Amino acid sequence: MNLRLLLFITLLLLQTQAFAQATVQGKVLDEKGLPLPGANIQIKGSYDGTTSEADGSFQFETENEGSHVLVFKFLGFKTQELPITLSPGSNEILPIKLIEEITEMNSVTISAGAMEASDESKSVILKPLDIVTTPSAMGDIMGAFQTLPGTSTVGNDGRLFVRGGDASEVGIYIDGMRVGNAYGTTAGNVPTRTRFNPNLFKGTFFSTGGYSSEYGQALSSALALNTKDLSVRSQGDLSIMSIGGGYSHTLANEKQSITASANYFNLGPYQGLIKQEVDFEAAPHGWDLELAAQKKVGKNGLLKVMARTESGGMSLWQPLPGSENRVLVDLKNDYSYAQANWRTILKKDWTVFAGISYSKNFDKINYDSLQVERQNELLHLKATAVKDFSDRLSAKFGVEQFLHPFSEKLIQEDWTRGYSDRESYLFTEWDYYLNKDLVFRAGLRGGRSSVSEEKWLDPRFSVAYQLHEQGQLSVAAGNFHQLPIENYRVLNMDLQNTASQHLILNYLFSKEGFTFRAETFYKSYDQLVTFEGLPESPEGLKNGGSGYARGIDFFFRDRETFKNTDYWITYSFVDSKRSFNQFQTEVQPSFAPKHNLSVVVKHFIAPLKSQIGASFIFNDGYSYTNPNLDNAEMNAKTKSFQNLSLSWSYLPKPNLIIHLACSNVLGRDNVFGYTYSPKTNSQGVFESIPQGQVAPRFLFLGIFLTLSKDKTANNLNNL
Amino acid sequence: MKKSILTLAVTILFIAFAQAADPAYIAAMQKQLEAKKTIENFEQSQTVTNGFLRIAEASETEWLPYYYAALIKTEAAFRFDIEKDKTLDEAMELAKKADQLAPGNSEITALQGYILMGKISLDPASRGQSMSPQAMQLLGKAINLDRENPRAVSLMSQMELGMSEFFGTGPEKACGMAKMSLDIYKKEETKINGEYILPTWGKTQAEQVVSKCK
Repeated sequence: MNLRLLLFITLLLLQTQAFAQATVQGKVLDEKGLPLPGANIQIKGSYDGTTSEADGSFQFETENEGSHVLVFKFLGFKTQELPITLSPGSNEILPIKLIEEITEMNSVTISAGAMEASDESKSVILKPLDIVTTPSAMGDIMGAFQTLPGTSTVGNDGRLFVRGGDASEVGIYIDGMRVGNAYGTTAGNVPTRTRFNPNLFKGTFFSTGGYSSEYGQALSSALALNTKDLSVRSQGDLSIMSIGGGYSHTLANEKQSITASANYFNLGPYQGLIKQEVDFEAAPHGWDLELAAQKKVGKNGLLKVMARTESGGMSLWQPLPGSENRVLVDLKNDYSYAQANWRTILKKDWTVFAGISYSKNFDKINYDSLQVERQNELLHLKATAVKDFSDRLSAKFGVEQFLHPFSEKLIQEDWTRGYSDRESYLFTEWDYYLNKDLVFRAGLRGGRSSVSEEKWLDPRFSVAYQLHEQGQLSVAAGNFHQLPIENYRVLNMDLQNTASQHLILNYLFSKEGFTFRAETFYKSYDQLVTFEGLPESPEGLKNGGSGYARGIDFFFRDRETFKNTDYWITYSFVDSKRSFNQFQTEVQPSFAPKHNLSVVVKHFIAPLKSQIGASFIFNDGYSYTNPNLDNAEMNAKTKSFQNLSLSWSYLPKPNLIIHLACSNVLGRDNVFGYTYSPKTNSQGVFESIPQGQVAPRFLFLGIFLTLSKDKTANNLNNL
Repeated sequence: MKKSILTLAVTILFIAFAQAADPAYIAAMQKQLEAKKTIENFEQSQTVTNGFLRIAEASETEWLPYYYAALIKTEAAFRFDIEKDKTLDEAMELAKKADQLAPGNSEITALQGYILMGKISLDPASRGQSMSPQAMQLLGKAINLDRENPRAVSLMSQMELGMSEFFGTGPEKACGMAKMSLDIYKKEETKINGEYILPTWGKTQAEQVVSKCK
């Protein structure tokens, strides 16, 4: 090429750059052909451009000429590039259609069966703080969930019961890893609590059915607790409570944080002051040590480790119906739990997760002269990978392995029996967005167990459709399998999976400050374990039971109408019948009251720096078998259950909280069923003892103090 | 000869563009900064945000365009009736882009603290506990990065004022910091000339805090 010519062109180019003026005009539309105002239009590599007007039109001037690329950008839409040749004067461009990007923020989410507690998600039912501030919960995670739709309160048990299912049908996960023996071991009618402190978690996902194929071994419900990410600052937290105390210390920097805590509780002094209905020889007591650490790995990775060990026990006198005699029940429990998990985002839209968890539970129970030791271990290995093929299609793949040894021993007789199960699972789940208002999810979970020597496959399916801006409809259906509880499997290792099918229809309405949710469901039960004799000494165990649960539940939450006031109302109707355990006919289980109502109100009083809370829980009573009536099973029902709880939290200083709570303020004498003597007395009557509350009320006082050498504050003082 | 003409052509080209770049950037920024002053509704705020984002696209190494785009979104969330949570999240994304271009910049860090303050104000009861320490930490970091950044000090004084109002402790600490920030604003004003495009906002907010002091 002639170099003189090049020089000439260069100079010419500089000239045109200075003088030529071209206008570019056109229109930006959305997928439906409607005007899209606010889109950013720009000539690539230059400052020239503009924003589209209310009618979608745009016009701007540029000194550029020749071949260029016009870029159309708008947040939430896919960027489009258009090659153009600019000539001086007017350049009219054909209307451009921008395609909306489907993101977590703007698209419909599957809400059938699902309830999320977090600060971020839009379909929030419960916030993490609610767990601590719900009066009836007394700081227990399950207590807060018992005010949500689909659950029923069984006051002498304390565990979570979902839609006619027993407590073992709820699978509990921490960071996606299964937790074995998540509840403390208990005896008599003393309700148990979750072992884990609510402060560990940043959010929870609670499903009352139709859940993801990521979760298995749970017929009714999956409860996934997600631990906190990096702590923001180093601090110490001291708690002094009417039932014990603890200290926790956190060290944190931008890359990692670690929290160590120790707690001790003993109900002895409290029970010395306030009379109990149960005659304790040794009040419930225990200690725990816990370590939780988080570390950033690489640019997008996060590693979490948690370990916990605890020990506790209690000893109480259990009365016998129709007799002056009592039986001493003595319980000792040791429990350890450890887990580690790592998550990172890789290239090409892959997200991977790997985790390992281990729990070991050891119970030593003395029932009169009978001495039993039980040991249950669970090792869980899991890996998942999520691939986003586009904003419309994503897939999850996972593999899991469980090692599950269980043994029990009669000390005096020196008899031991046990088994060690190996379970393997593969699962996959595919999400497809037809558009941002319609999503399909299909999942498949396959499993096998070495002890029961069976293989099974669970297909699951759900759809969600956005009806209007604030309302959405979703449907979920699927198959669920669960191996029987350890106490039964050890007696008959041929026991197979119990099975259930779910069908759920859900409507969710949410707008700023309001949530309304209605859900109806049908659930079938098959292959439930049945036996002859009493639950304490079952014989002839087999997969012989079946049944159903159906119902509807409503949830309404309002944070808007009354200033500084937040309240929610839940009503759940459950109609459930099943043949299971010792029940040979289909009966309403004692843990499935028909009508369940809960109301929670919280009100913040700024001048008093206080939050007051009230919760009221009601159900229409628990079914039980009264042998004095007739020979039928579950032929009677207790009076209704009612519990009004109040709480008061006072924050005199930024780092100090004083919390006072009282359950069952009205002192209602709730009864959960009756125990009958095995033989009639001289009048031909089976004598009974009510299964009641440990005490009419429970009073709790706690002082929580945060000690922090807040570096930011110190630095400011030095300014 | 040929070689020298080639060199000359390339040199002219280079000089032409190199010289054009900086003043053009400054001019483009100033144009948007002028427009920023006239924002009265959300549409106008979107137009100016877009203006800064175009500069960000064309001048890939500059952090200020993203900074201002984030700032305008944050202010829009405070001023206009829009989806506030979403807008603040978008602002945070833009601030993070600015941060990637200029890691450890005190202004960007302070802005991130400001955005968090906006998030907290939408739901203080449930967000305050977890997010206030984060906001304080960011503002503290911003102060440490540049003690002459009046916005970091002023925002921190607003956080302190909120805390003291909630807990009924005296506003002395907030007041001291707000007054300190006003002194730094005075120093900053002496630097401002025709070509100054660095952040200068936030003085009124500091004055508001001071007005509550006796």
